[in-house]
Amino acid sequence: MIDAAVAVERLEKTLGKNRVLQGISFEAKPGEIFGLLGPNGAGKTTTLRIICTLLSPDAGTVKVEGFDTTTEPQEVRRRIGVVTADIGVYPRLSARENIEYFAKLCGLMDGELTRKVDAVIERLDMGSFAKQRAESLSSGQKQKVAIARAIVHDPEVLMFDEPTSNLDVLASKEVREFMVEAKGRGKCVIFSTHVMHDAERLCDRMAILHHGLIVASGPTEQVRGTERDLESAFLALVEA
Amino acid sequence: MNAAWIVFQKELMEVLRDRRTMMAIGLAALATPLVLFVISEVSTQTATQTYTVGYSGEIPTGLAILLQATGLKLKAVADPAAAAVKQVDLGVAFLPGEIDEYYDPTRQSAQIADVRLQTILGQYDAAQAAAALKNSGIDPGILTPIKLVGHPLSSPVQAASNAFLSFFLPYILITMILTGGFSAALDSSAGERERRTLEGLLLTPAPRSRLLLGKIGAITVVSLAAAVVAIGSMFVALTQISLPGSSSHITLSPAAVPVMVWLALLIAFSFSSVSLALGTLAKNFRQGQAYVTPLYFITILPASIILFIPDFNPNLAYYLIPILNAVLVLRDAIVHNSVSWMALTVTSLSLLATGALSWFAALRLFTREALLTK
Repeated sequence: MIDAAVAVERLEKTLGKNRVLQGISFEAKPGEIFGLLGPNGAGKTTTLRIICTLLSPDAGTVKVEGFDTTTEPQEVRRRIGVVTADIGVYPRLSARENIEYFAKLCGLMDGELTRKVDAVIERLDMGSFAKQRAESLSSGQKQKVAIARAIVHDPEVLMFDEPTSNLDVLASKEVREFMVEAKGRGKCVIFSTHVMHDAERLCDRMAILHHGLIVASGPTEQVRGTERDLESAFLALVEA
Repeated sequence: MNAAWIVFQKELMEVLRDRRTMMAIGLAALATPLVLFVISEVSTQTATQTYTVGYSGEIPTGLAILLQATGLKLKAVADPAAAAVKQVDLGVAFLPGEIDEYYDPTRQSAQIADVRLQTILGQYDAAQAAAALKNSGIDPGILTPIKLVGHPLSSPVQAASNAFLSFFLPYILITMILTGGFSAALDSSAGERERRTLEGLLLTPAPRSRLLLGKIGAITVVSLAAAVVAIGSMFVALTQISLPGSSSHITLSPAAVPVMVWLALLIAFSFSSVSLALGTLAKNFRQGQAYVTPLYFITILPASIILFIPDFNPNLAYYLIPILNAVLVLRDAIVHNSVSWMALTVTSLSLLATGALSWFAALRLFTREALLTK
């Protein structure tokens, strides 16, 4: 039986002359929100991109639901959904068409396609703008489209890379609520952020990245330790 | 459903909703007949226009009627040389036993008037010589001891039609295939990066080669649609334009039709792959335009130059050069209504190889990590 939904072992990556990751290891389990924390340039996005097969590791291994990202990338991509801060949607397609396009590319067809697209539109409360062209949607609505297309194929692992950085307070709240809901349904949620307040509220466990190394990891309370809050603990770690 | 087909459908849907691409195709449909109409009007006007000849001295008997019948209007001037600079199209001084002609070769009207004058004077001289010989009891036939009898192997009207099409058709075909697909190719490559949709697309389980195939297929269809619209509108316009001196219209030789369709497919596939590969190098639409625009000049210029050399008979090596080879094969099919199978085979292989190489280049560029990290 596979215990970890995502298993990262001694991962290394160099981009250009920059050694972004220097042998990091961690595991994220089903039914938890795992935080990947760190300042800008710490290697969070690179780690997520390797997990979702967009980049290949220089050394080390990454397994998603037991599938190796290097040797079985298509199987990995079937099992993940990714939401990023860059809300890329096709402007000339409607919200529904955007979701359907990705659903089809994930292998959904005919009745299953319609059922799952309808379900995700209802779940994210997108009915009022589903037929509207994406170019006319607000940032919050576009982010919902981005979430919908990432989850329409019902992946086991959901990755959120700074998902609220371009959103207003209300839209950010909805994204956070969605992450908690996904965790409740047994999904493994990996949440990359540098907003310590969000991480402290949402994450069950976390790893703090700094200069391509994990400087602390474990349950949130353990990482916070004796500090007054996570931000103080984080500052103490990265400034040490 | 096959991922390539899914991408193909979505790309076409986006193109149909893209005002920029649809306007480019619509403009092509309007521009071609408009250009043909202007050309037709200008040539008709040139052929029927009357030019003014400023003259001095005594006009030889009967010459004035001939000149006026050929569209040369006579006007008496004091100094034909001075008048020929601006006042009239041609200056002529009739002297005893001599005609002095003054004209400015940089003026097109002077050139046409000169040709008309030379033709009329040649006929006038021949008629005068024949009359003088006849008066002296000599058979005027001695002036033409060898009689030339022409036997044209094809209709001169059809030859004129073929010459016209061999010039315009390859040019329009290639230009429209290239420019018609530009916008779609850039939107599908650089546009994906600019809109930040590329990462989402690459995160789907679909193999990247299939994603690329769907994109190239859609761009090829758009390119061909642009070419079909432009050529279709050209032929519709040609049904309204008669050939000079005839009631016939310009028609395409039967051999040229399948050759044109086959070459159009190959060129569209090659161009789609090349422009998609170049677009993939760009971070945004504007940068993509900068990369792709030179492609137009690189390919269209050599092909255009060849069109201005009607009797250029290349050896087989020329048919290895992409685009130029297509122009040559299409020109032969239009002018001679026949196809050299060897030339067509070499051309097809050359275009297929170009398309395949561009496809591999596009795939390599589409799968590199730098696509997302730079």
